[in-house]
Amino acid sequence: MLALRHVSKRFSGIPAVDDVTFTAYAGEVTGYLGANGSGKSTTMKMITGLIAASSGEILFEGQPIHDDLIAFKQRMGYVPEEPHLYTHLSGVEYLMMVAQLRNLAPRQSAERIAGLLRLFGLHDDRYAPISAYSKGMRQKILLSAALMHNPDLILLDEPFSGLDVGSALVLRSLIEELAARGKVVLFSSHELETVERICSRVVILHHGRIVADDSIASLRTLMALPTLEGIFSQLAVEQDTVAISRRIADLIQA
Amino acid sequence: MTKLQFRVLCRVFLLRVVDLELLADHGDSVRLLGQFAALLAAISFLFTAPLILVGGRLPEETIWTMEHLLIATTMVVVGLFSVLSWDSTFPDRRDVLVLAPLPIPPRMLFVAKLTALAAALGLSILALNVFTGLIWPLFFFPATNGVLASMRSLAAYWMTMLAASAFIFCFVLCVQWLTAQFLPRQVFLRLSAFLQVALFCLFLCVYFLEPSLETIGALSTSENQRLLVWLPSYWFLGLFQRLNGSMQPAFAPLATRAWTGLAMATIGAVGAYLLSYLRTLRKIAEQPDILPGSGRRNWAPSFGGSLRTAIVLFSLRTLLRSRQHRVILSFYLGVGFAVVLACVRPGLGHRESSHGTATADASLPLLIASILMMSIAVLGVRIVFSMPIALGANWTFRITEIYRVPAYLSATGCSLFLLALCPVWAVFAALFLFIWPRGQAIGHLVILAALGMILIDLSLLRFRKIPFTCSYLPGKGNVQFVFWACILVVLPLTTLFAKFELQALHSPSRYAVVIVILAIAEILVRSRSVVFARSVKALSFEEVTPAEILGLELHGDGGAPLERVLNRP
Repeated sequence: MLALRHVSKRFSGIPAVDDVTFTAYAGEVTGYLGANGSGKSTTMKMITGLIAASSGEILFEGQPIHDDLIAFKQRMGYVPEEPHLYTHLSGVEYLMMVAQLRNLAPRQSAERIAGLLRLFGLHDDRYAPISAYSKGMRQKILLSAALMHNPDLILLDEPFSGLDVGSALVLRSLIEELAARGKVVLFSSHELETVERICSRVVILHHGRIVADDSIASLRTLMALPTLEGIFSQLAVEQDTVAISRRIADLIQA
Repeated sequence: MTKLQFRVLCRVFLLRVVDLELLADHGDSVRLLGQFAALLAAISFLFTAPLILVGGRLPEETIWTMEHLLIATTMVVVGLFSVLSWDSTFPDRRDVLVLAPLPIPPRMLFVAKLTALAAALGLSILALNVFTGLIWPLFFFPATNGVLASMRSLAAYWMTMLAASAFIFCFVLCVQWLTAQFLPRQVFLRLSAFLQVALFCLFLCVYFLEPSLETIGALSTSENQRLLVWLPSYWFLGLFQRLNGSMQPAFAPLATRAWTGLAMATIGAVGAYLLSYLRTLRKIAEQPDILPGSGRRNWAPSFGGSLRTAIVLFSLRTLLRSRQHRVILSFYLGVGFAVVLACVRPGLGHRESSHGTATADASLPLLIASILMMSIAVLGVRIVFSMPIALGANWTFRITEIYRVPAYLSATGCSLFLLALCPVWAVFAALFLFIWPRGQAIGHLVILAALGMILIDLSLLRFRKIPFTCSYLPGKGNVQFVFWACILVVLPLTTLFAKFELQALHSPSRYAVVIVILAIAEILVRSRSVVFARSVKALSFEEVTPAEILGLELHGDGGAPLERVLNRP
């Protein structure tokens, strides 16, 4: 169980995440939604320890993660929003390096890397430098690096970015399978249809604050709206989208 | 519109001479460039200081020697600049991908690149000659002549420097453009790093090893004519003399050769450019930058422990595959090599024969050379470790930080050991075991290894980073301070130590004393570095740590600076 208690993050005094409290449970996929700049990725980075929270507490299985950050990192897998990778390394070299940094046994890591590369369809390109990989291929490398040590907590920040239809379907099933095997999965995405299909619960963030935290079914009933898109639009989209699109078209024609 | 586009492109390309992505959050590329300019100006002052102190008229041959030295120095600096800016000559892949969709003619991209390079080059020449170019020309004409002659000397000096610089710059461009034109792009990318290093060594070796021929006799004799064909710095000495009004016939063929060389290099560079710019641009856009070393096998030896293996292999692969890091390392090794050559060249002519030993015995110049090269290799690799590769990707290390800090620092030390100490030690081991008696060779190699270990521990005393993963902040390293410290402190100390070691190699008791002293020094330095490693709470991935207290940075009128408002996350 991953729990955030009154977590805030301020950059130069300006709040990016403001008093966020929610819990993600083992065995289910928790969707973490919000518009661009709402604080989703900042929350993810605070959970991973990449940036420190200004206030509040993050607990994993009841223990504050900063009590033993090293032990926490051993049990966590993370797919970041941006596919920043060491592009001068080949796919297999990068994954081997991550396995060594995670202190996995050489034989075990070699088997897992070979298996992951084969299952993700990267086996033929494993010796090519990552600089030659497409965005989708880089995303698969990130997924492999996040999963190879069989983590208990999986943080996925826009994991479908750049994936083709087939790979996206595989990933969707994989996320469900991992949750079914008792993992805690926190999943951030703008693809509301996918979120609606695989998430048990959603947390919706707006301007750094939580505006909804419930199961999708409860939210539908509560707000009397049939789709997650409708719920999200009402809670986290302030703009009149049609009017804005008209104004953009007018602006470029002027 | 076109003029505005051109100005914007020139400004962007000029600032891109430094790779902005490796700088820390508050890093300032202008400051870094300013530091290099100050270093060049300091060299200019160094060449002028003796004249200011001594004053008066100088003998003609001394003046010619000085003229040649200043021309050769300008040429070598421009040569090194051209090699260092090799990757900035053409628009790179990022430039093409960002700028090609915009309505900018490809010709403008190339011309803007060239203009930015020429501006940077001009500033370098100006900085290097800021003192010498104003004071020395006043001594380069006969004292009996008046103000007009001094003006002519001044004009001749600057014209010669510009011509010599243009010759070297165009020569390097010719080499680069011709290889880019006739080789497949991937082969060119792989080969260009080696070409850079080769040109680097060529310029330094010519500068330090070319003979002194600054007399009429030496310039006129038929034996030297074949040599002079290959020494462009003497061509431009002849050019300067002719422009300055010298009627000595010995300078005429040299000046002709200078004009011919300049014309050929310029025509070659312009011609190659005109032929290739469109083709090269298309190649850059169409063919990805395939980096070297992407073979079909996964070479993954173990270096003891998975963390150590990961960091050593990462460092090794980065140094082997990143052209930028390799060139920076080549720069330091090249400068070190030049210093070594300058130091040992006088001594190599006549072997030491002190202590009644045979000529094949260990010699002082080679002892100094090996110790200096070891120091420079350790320092160079340590500096290159501070410069990141793909800074945004360092989350990989941060997210997998499951060991205590000392384990990472130990792995970093191991990387420095393997990448700096081992290659230099192996080269000198092969040399000394071949030319010296085995006992003396082994004796010195033990000392060299011990010195290398001490230097590694010293250089990592305040280093709390994984190589190539932390942002870079210009000015923190204080390049000038390190440079002058090395010249003024390390050199005399090395000479003193080498003299003592030379005696120790012939006396077992003295040798034992040296070994004991080195062992004690290593224990002390190592214990300090262990204490430091234990005291470090976290590895550093950003050179500028967030401030404990938030500064409001208000303007005098109480308003917030515009950039702060705009840069809100």
